[in-house]
Amino acid sequence: MSMFLELENLKAHFPIYRGAIFRRQIGSVKAVDGINLQLRKGEILGLVGESGCGKSTLARTIMQLIPTTEGAVILEGRNLSEISRRAVRTERVNFQMIFQDPYASLNPRMTVYDALAEAIQTRQQFDKKLLLEKVGRLMRTVGLPANQMRRYPHEFSGGQRQRIAVARALAPQPKLIIADEPVSALDVSIQSQILNLIAKLSQEMHLTMIFISHDISVVKYISDRIAVMYLGRLVELGPATEVVEKPLHPYTKALVSAIPIPDPQVERRRQRIILQGDPPSPTSPPAGCAFHPRCPYAIAACKAQRPELEQKERHRFAAWIRIGEI
Amino acid sequence: MATGTASIEPAPIRADELVQGTSLWKDAWFRLRKNHVALFGLYTFCTIALLCLVVPFFTGYTYEQTEISLKASAPMEPIFLRTEARKAGEPKKSFIALSNLEDEFLEKSQSDRKAIVAKIAEGEVYQEGRNTYQRSSQRHVFGTDPLGRDLLTRVLVGGRISLAVGFAATLVSVCIGVLWGATAGFAGGKIDTVMMRFADILYALPFTVIVILLMVMFGRNFILLFVAIGAVEWLNMARIVRGQIISLKNQEFIEAAISLGLPSHRILFRHLIPNVIGSIIIYATLTVPNVMLLEAVLSFLGLGVQPPLSSWGVLIDEGSRTMETSIWLLVCPAIFFSLTLFCLNFLGDGLRDALDPKASKD
Repeated sequence: MSMFLELENLKAHFPIYRGAIFRRQIGSVKAVDGINLQLRKGEILGLVGESGCGKSTLARTIMQLIPTTEGAVILEGRNLSEISRRAVRTERVNFQMIFQDPYASLNPRMTVYDALAEAIQTRQQFDKKLLLEKVGRLMRTVGLPANQMRRYPHEFSGGQRQRIAVARALAPQPKLIIADEPVSALDVSIQSQILNLIAKLSQEMHLTMIFISHDISVVKYISDRIAVMYLGRLVELGPATEVVEKPLHPYTKALVSAIPIPDPQVERRRQRIILQGDPPSPTSPPAGCAFHPRCPYAIAACKAQRPELEQKERHRFAAWIRIGEI
Repeated sequence: MATGTASIEPAPIRADELVQGTSLWKDAWFRLRKNHVALFGLYTFCTIALLCLVVPFFTGYTYEQTEISLKASAPMEPIFLRTEARKAGEPKKSFIALSNLEDEFLEKSQSDRKAIVAKIAEGEVYQEGRNTYQRSSQRHVFGTDPLGRDLLTRVLVGGRISLAVGFAATLVSVCIGVLWGATAGFAGGKIDTVMMRFADILYALPFTVIVILLMVMFGRNFILLFVAIGAVEWLNMARIVRGQIISLKNQEFIEAAISLGLPSHRILFRHLIPNVIGSIIIYATLTVPNVMLLEAVLSFLGLGVQPPLSSWGVLIDEGSRTMETSIWLLVCPAIFFSLTLFCLNFLGDGLRDALDPKASKD
């Protein structure tokens, strides 16, 4: 059986130009640099990585908001990178995105009703009465009172806005949802509400989802599998609990060690891996493994060759050459 | 198709929860009504427009009717009737303003002249040779211009032209400018470059040359006025709108609209343009006076309104040349002109706020 969503060697590079008249390309930012990934239907994949590693670019590339430089996004057997733009447009109802910033992702001049009605009618036109009812139901579904549908986004709080954004993403009845850090702009007390809402709805509506976050503890809570991204590439992939409890890649280990433990005694005793330096520039990534300048276990071989994502255990993949040694 | 949203909704929606919305314009009007300055602008402007439309029928004069002997009489200046008896036919009647009455008796001494004028002013009928002088009940509220035409009528009739030109040309420039700028900004890349370079080329052409070319091609025509002004004024609007659209189109809500698979024109008209409407309105209210003054320039070149018809721009232009001797010729049209612009600015400001849903509802 073919996979629901497949990413084949997906790349998104942004050329850098210099010169006004004789413009020449002097390099490119390799924001997404060869991602291979398969998702089953109904699966929730958590994607983690630090700022600037290309998570959001990957999301926008899958969403066809950014042109693919190379590779393919294959949704239910259809290669979205190859079909015409018009065909992509009709296909868009099947994959929707929840954006990071609920203050920027809603049109300030459209009422909730207008925004949701527009999203609902992407699949099918409804008459006014039915539409009104559908919008009302949708608002209920995401936990908003239906009688507030004539309000504008600025009349809602951040958490409520994100609920509206979730409702809009669900309105076209998509099969795939890409949630790009949907809770990172929210207050901590609101984060869990939105997280629970997304988890509940994705389960009830049998959605396939890619959930992006820089916080591995958030991702662990919601996902079936976790993919760890570093500088445009995947470094680890595996079932959520296993990746968090027994990380294979040193970068994942560092991420996991950054999760605070709510027990002060344990918290004080445990060892934290503090990574030195900043992530290297995606314009000129270091030779070999991109992580080696910051890796506590780096050896000479790490600089020589770039490790590919390989299966290390059952269901578990990592891009590290020293697995088994340490 | 499985209705995913329906299956997980337990309770049905009560009818009272489905709030009927008010339209954007109704909403805007509701907010505008609370803005007293804007309302003052709106009402004053409507009054001016109504005056221009209606009052010329009731002034008793037409804008073209000359009275050479009256010359430039001041507002409400007493006017006298001179009846010149002729050997054959009807006596010739003409009107003379108080300030010019003394000049009728130049052969007399200065003190005599004063006495005669005073007598006539008191209501006496005075005979001097073939001429009979007597007081007349005729008055010109705004005075008259050097040809003795009633200024009030001319200002109001000119107002019709000015308002028509101001609004029609602004409308033309807003329509072209917004569409052009929004399309260029939204499309970006090569399309943007080509469209904006075309606008630059038009901008670089001297305005008068375009106008003269148009005149040669189409001859004198009032409609051409709108075309010529519209063709120049939309360039600024296009640039402003393009800049705003470019800064807007990378916002996440536009990405969200693209993600929904909405067609480009819908994204443009429903998501982008409503968000730049504030700038559009403000710039449009600034365009109206520009257009009215441009019309005066065109009229001077012979393309705009032709005498005896007039407009505020032309009247102000003429008035400024005689301001040392007859200031009212400048002041009267200028008051109407500035009052209109004030009102439009207040109204534009109010409209911008009223159309912004973030402005509080109550």
